Amino acid sequence: MMLAGLFSQAIPITGAGRILLLLPLCLSIAIVYKTIRCPQPRQIPTAVLPLWITIVVAMYVIGALLWAVFNLLS
Amino acid sequence: MRAGKTILDIPAAAMLGWVFPGLGHLYLGHRVRGWIFLATITLTYWTGIAVGGVHGTIDPKEHPWWFVAQLCNGGHTSAAYLLRSTLEPAEFVTVTPAAHYGPQPVKPLVHYGHWLSIEIGTVYTAVAGLLNLLVILDAIVRADAALRAAPAGAHAGAPWSPG
Repeated sequence: MMLAGLFSQAIPITGAGRILLLLPLCLSIAIVYKTIRCPQPRQIPTAVLPLWITIVVAMYVIGALLWAVFNLLS
Repeated sequence: MRAGKTILDIPAAAMLGWVFPGLGHLYLGHRVRGWIFLATITLTYWTGIAVGGVHGTIDPKEHPWWFVAQLCNGGHTSAAYLLRSTLEPAEFVTVTPAAHYGPQPVKPLVHYGHWLSIEIGTVYTAVAGLLNLLVILDAIVRADAALRAAPAGAHAGAPWSPG
């Protein structure tokens, strides 16, 4: 019942929370992609880190550009 | 590691992978990959449900295309939909940006969901579903490669063992 309570109500996300929530999502994408691609499972941890950083940096750059365009147009 | 390699391994791996992420890989004997997929996709999916709430996140009427992506995670989406039906509220209210900054009447037995939390939760669950689609395709490719590596007799459907 406690577990059901955890999933029944939404958690209010404000400020930095919405930006920080990108990190675990990108990490899971990097883990799944590299687990598929790496020939040996022991190569996965070292391959995940650069991909995770690349995705996060690229997403933040795109987000900052879109935010700048939005502010210019408004 | 499983001993038999048959033509039935391909649909079996795909089906098991759809029911639970990584189960197809575990069935094929790729234990490390299977457990990584199971842990990563399950955690991503239920983080999304926890952030957005099950009523706002799993909503086939409100956002049907996101629900299609969520359905790629068959077992988890079925469990979440069942949970949603079990916890069916008297009323579900989405707090929109305009309503969020104005006075918000709070009623008992109402599940409130902030629009931003619902959007983030929906994206998390849909991405988890699409990642599982990739995992299912990978399981199919691996089952097919194992079958091609097996002797010709195994293709007929008879179980093959390396002896």
